[in-house]
Amino acid sequence: MKKYIIASSALLLAFSTSMVVISSCAVSQKVQNKTGTQLWGENCGRCHNAPGPGEFSAANWDIIGRHMRVRTNITETEEKKIIDYLKTTGN
Amino acid sequence: MNKIFLSLLLLLSCNILQAQIVSDNNQSNAATVSSKDGQNKFAIFGNAEMTFFADKNNVQFGEVNFKPIFLWRISDKLFVEAEPEFETGEGSLDIGLEYANMCFIVNRYLILHAGRFLPKFGAYRGRMGEGFINRFPTDPVGFGDGGIGAMNEVGIGAQGGFGTGDVKFNYDLYLSNGPILLTDPENAGQFEYEGYVGNNKGKAVGGRVGFLPLTNSSLEIGYSFQSKMKTGDAGSPYENVGLHMQAIDLNYFGHITPMQSDVRLIGEWKYQKVDKATYFDASGTPFTFDNSPSTYYVAGTIRPVHVHNLFIHNLELAARYSRFKRPLKAPWGGDNAHQFAVALDYWLKWNSLVKLTYQTQKDEPDAFYAQVVFGF
Repeated sequence: MKKYIIASSALLLAFSTSMVVISSCAVSQKVQNKTGTQLWGENCGRCHNAPGPGEFSAANWDIIGRHMRVRTNITETEEKKIIDYLKTTGN
Repeated sequence: MNKIFLSLLLLLSCNILQAQIVSDNNQSNAATVSSKDGQNKFAIFGNAEMTFFADKNNVQFGEVNFKPIFLWRISDKLFVEAEPEFETGEGSLDIGLEYANMCFIVNRYLILHAGRFLPKFGAYRGRMGEGFINRFPTDPVGFGDGGIGAMNEVGIGAQGGFGTGDVKFNYDLYLSNGPILLTDPENAGQFEYEGYVGNNKGKAVGGRVGFLPLTNSSLEIGYSFQSKMKTGDAGSPYENVGLHMQAIDLNYFGHITPMQSDVRLIGEWKYQKVDKATYFDASGTPFTFDNSPSTYYVAGTIRPVHVHNLFIHNLELAARYSRFKRPLKAPWGGDNAHQFAVALDYWLKWNSLVKLTYQTQKDEPDAFYAQVVFGF
């Protein structure tokens, strides 16, 4: 039992520390300035052909963006910028 | 004392999550009230596939698969994805559940999930093996049924992605029922990986860390692990047989300007180490063996996507080599398997294509496959 408590505490501590470290990380200006179009080409194309803006409705793009974030771990910023680009260009 | 400590630990975790939910709900309420789409959004996407197969002994229209994906974005925080699979590969209709996964978006760096989810061990089975992503109608040897690692996991997990400077990282950590050791004479030392239910108190711990070192995200390198200390049935002599797995995956996507083409290089290596155990053959004679199989594949594709001729623009050429090293003394072992496949694909749409593939594999007749995949 003791080893589970020690392991759980160590895991929680390591996880909390990681979250603090991660949240203090900053992306470069070059990455911050990337547009939705750029991120769409770079991230979608890495695994499959990137679907064009006219492919789905705005509501569907919201769902697809979340599905892709869960499936491939793209960042929140990338999800938002890519879906904004696809919604505003195609609808 | 121990119980009090654990309860406090749990309470602390819940409080952190609850504080996050309240804070984020306060922010998101303002945004969602004015949304004309409504908050709860639902869609169905998926694939339909049909494969033709021919070798010197058989010519047949074979496997038909239909895989609708149900997606619910319940709110900004809650998301559900589920995929049933209908397939006819074994000569009758099989219906299965690929995944049913509930996700809770805690913050920009953390997503918690629970349910039946696609494997996070390696990248092929959870990502690159999809019908419209895999340029071949077949899996690399060692990566399909009978290979190393799960097709699905049942459990809970945490995941996320973040950038720092010019590079990006992503992570997956999970706790699942994990692999179950098989001990019958024909399959001794193999695993039932799917683990719909657990067979003892042990659980598998696993994860993957992905690193994207280039600013344009064109290269991803991943390292995965999975470990389960107890894989045998509870109370059996095999209960404490442990399993440890590692994998490295690579995915590169780029453009060759002189050839007006996009190229893709992908690969993965997986290794499994099982603790020593004594099994019994059909006559009751004990035997043991070094149970440490490994497998890898490398694949490359080229598509002249920037050529103006529409027909040429839609063509893609792909080649793949894979190898599966199996324990020689295992009842299911034997020689190592090698496979080479070359494919010419024609894209009908971004997620729909026709694949024509010629495949050679050691100890198997050369085979021709044709597959139609429609994404919807």
